[in-house]
Amino acid sequence: MPVPLGYYLGLAAIIFTVGVIGVLVRRNAIIILMSIELMLNGANLTLVAFSVHLQELSGQVFVFLVMTVAAAEAAVGLAIIVMIFRNRESVNVDNLNIMKW
Amino acid sequence: MFDLAFYILAVLILGSALMVVTLRNIFHCALFLVLCMFSIAGIYILLEAEFIAAVQVLIYVGAVTILMIFAVMLTHQLTGKTIRQVNDQPIAALFIISSLLVLTLLALSKTTWEVASSSGVSPSATELGRALMTVYVLPFEVVSVVLLVALVGAIVISRGD
Amino acid sequence: MSIPIPSINIGAILPEIILIATAFVIIFVELFAPKRWRLGIPIICFAGLLAGFYAVGSLWGETIFAFGESVTSDNFALFFKFIFLLGALLVTLISVDYLKREGIYHAEYFFLILLSTVGMMIMASSLDLISIFLGLEVMSIALYVLAGFNRTDPRSNEASLKYFLIGAFASGFLLYGIALLYGNFHTTNLGEIFALLSGQESLSIIGLIGIVLVLIGFFFKVAFVPFHMWVPDVYQGAPTSVTAFMSAGPKAAGFAVLLRIVIYAFNTSSPEFTNLLWIVAVVTMSVGNIVAIAQNNLKRMLAYSSIAHAGYVLVAVVAGGPVGTSAAMFYLLVYTLMNVGAFSILIVFGKRGEDNLNFSDYAGLASKYPLGALAMTLFMLSLAGIPPTAGFVGKFYVFSAAVSQGYVTLAVIGVLNSLISVYYYIRVVVVMYMSAKPAEKFYFTYSVPAIIALIIAAWGTLQLGILPERWLSLAKDSIFSFLL
Repeated sequence: MPVPLGYYLGLAAIIFTVGVIGVLVRRNAIIILMSIELMLNGANLTLVAFSVHLQELSGQVFVFLVMTVAAAEAAVGLAIIVMIFRNRESVNVDNLNIMKW
Repeated sequence: MFDLAFYILAVLILGSALMVVTLRNIFHCALFLVLCMFSIAGIYILLEAEFIAAVQVLIYVGAVTILMIFAVMLTHQLTGKTIRQVNDQPIAALFIISSLLVLTLLALSKTTWEVASSSGVSPSATELGRALMTVYVLPFEVVSVVLLVALVGAIVISRGD
Repeated sequence: MSIPIPSINIGAILPEIILIATAFVIIFVELFAPKRWRLGIPIICFAGLLAGFYAVGSLWGETIFAFGESVTSDNFALFFKFIFLLGALLVTLISVDYLKREGIYHAEYFFLILLSTVGMMIMASSLDLISIFLGLEVMSIALYVLAGFNRTDPRSNEASLKYFLIGAFASGFLLYGIALLYGNFHTTNLGEIFALLSGQESLSIIGLIGIVLVLIGFFFKVAFVPFHMWVPDVYQGAPTSVTAFMSAGPKAAGFAVLLRIVIYAFNTSSPEFTNLLWIVAVVTMSVGNIVAIAQNNLKRMLAYSSIAHAGYVLVAVVAGGPVGTSAAMFYLLVYTLMNVGAFSILIVFGKRGEDNLNFSDYAGLASKYPLGALAMTLFMLSLAGIPPTAGFVGKFYVFSAAVSQGYVTLAVIGVLNSLISVYYYIRVVVVMYMSAKPAEKFYFTYSVPAIIALIIAAWGTLQLGILPERWLSLAKDSIFSFLL
């Protein structure tokens, strides 16, 4: 591996952090979902980098499973978002305030 | 050569990731997410994890982001209304998170990674498949339950009657 | 070419298999059977859960490892599976007529309840971070959908979206934490991590960040302060039967994993962990109780009270050791009974659309429905921790565990908190019995299954309060399988 492991891990950490920032500062549910996907990708990259570095299989198996879960999560999440849009024509988290925080 | 590819991909990933969390037009965000996922697949190829790279393209680029673009198109007019998209407390969030990041990066740079004792080759798709069917058969089955739940759940929630 | 196949031992996951099979039967009945058969779907669900109880009972006492040590069926897991099954059973009973009243009677509801329970069971019996994560996702995805099951109700929509976003966010933290732990220990198996940790002096900094991120993920799921802000909205917005379900099983499942991780894998008794959990326990109890006082909506009040109760269980986790662990498990069992009981009352006396959940809507209930008011009083007293109810015994064991392990301050704060909580629980009783201005109209849904559920919950609350020894000794039996 010509590029040191630490570079991959650092890149993954930054992707994860960008995702967290996105979740915290954005208000649109779809973008929050995209930011969560970024977080998951950061974690996946960490797992793959470790797995390749350690020559150990389980990390990559895990990534494969996580990607499937992420797809399932996205499907459910987008179904929820579409359902809400049908009822009230907005998907901004701050507009969802029937109940007080 | 590998170095150069890594840096190009890293710049692409970070740039598009930042675009995803800062752009105002949601459709553009989705497109940058596609670019980001593609570049991450490139990183997997650099890591010689070709199978994972293929799955990344298939699932993330092919399924997840396309699903998101569908959702964007279903919930927004493409003319691109740009409303205020940012929370009220971005500064505090940025501060906490960036300190977390700095801590993690410091920890990563301080740690020396021991090289694995076994000197096998990088796991191939065949080995992954075999592992999924033997040692990891339970997680494999559970993931099928996840998919089933998501399938039924998405239909329940979005069907109109 | 020969492929080595690890020992499978299907028997170890028999309860899960039974519930999955039942869920399939339900979907097939819904799809292919004549329409009138649909009314039998709750009965199928009920039968499946009873079979699950039978499987749990038949596996009790043995420790089986399966799928290459990634899953175990020990008494610890079985005790939690019993709690999950109990929660699912009571919720199935209270849901039948509730769903019809709200016009959301679909077979998928029972399907999702069953599979969510399967997810919890996988969490409780997993020894591998991979399968813990997957079990958590099965449970959570089903719950996101269930929270939004009342599709036309904007509050239910909002609950679903908030729960989903927070849940997925928490999964991200959990996953990144697992990734760092994997890098640190080269494995995701808790048993192997345990072996490495007991050899090594202390955790490396990467491992420490990893475990903290995993804990944050679970703190979100179990709703400890400061990761609790989603609870009131989600609990209030979700259909009441789903709220009852969420407050029982998933919470216990989160604790099952926390107990396994904290006690089994990270039982190196590093004081930092205990200090962290100590602070979280105090803040969680206090915030939950103090904010609950200000609530006027019963569902929201119970949401905050559930936060506080998670804090009490965490006190037992902090105490640790055999005493603390068994106290935590006993408390979770008790909490399931009394909390689902309280929600059953809300369901029976709710009206379509659920607009009558304020304190004032229950004013003078005792004069019209004395038995209902009596049952509610029992559950409130139990939640407040007043003898001779199960809640008292549960709290007694939790706090005495804390004292016996030397956490006297923590126990004192806990007792003070339960004194605060008496105020808002008793307020419900006072309103029901001695209100000067009774509510104009009460709504009563006559539902035989819900009444059966109420009887089970009330009987359990009294039984565990008066004769707790049997169940406590079962809880004690459960922990030795991995503590010793």
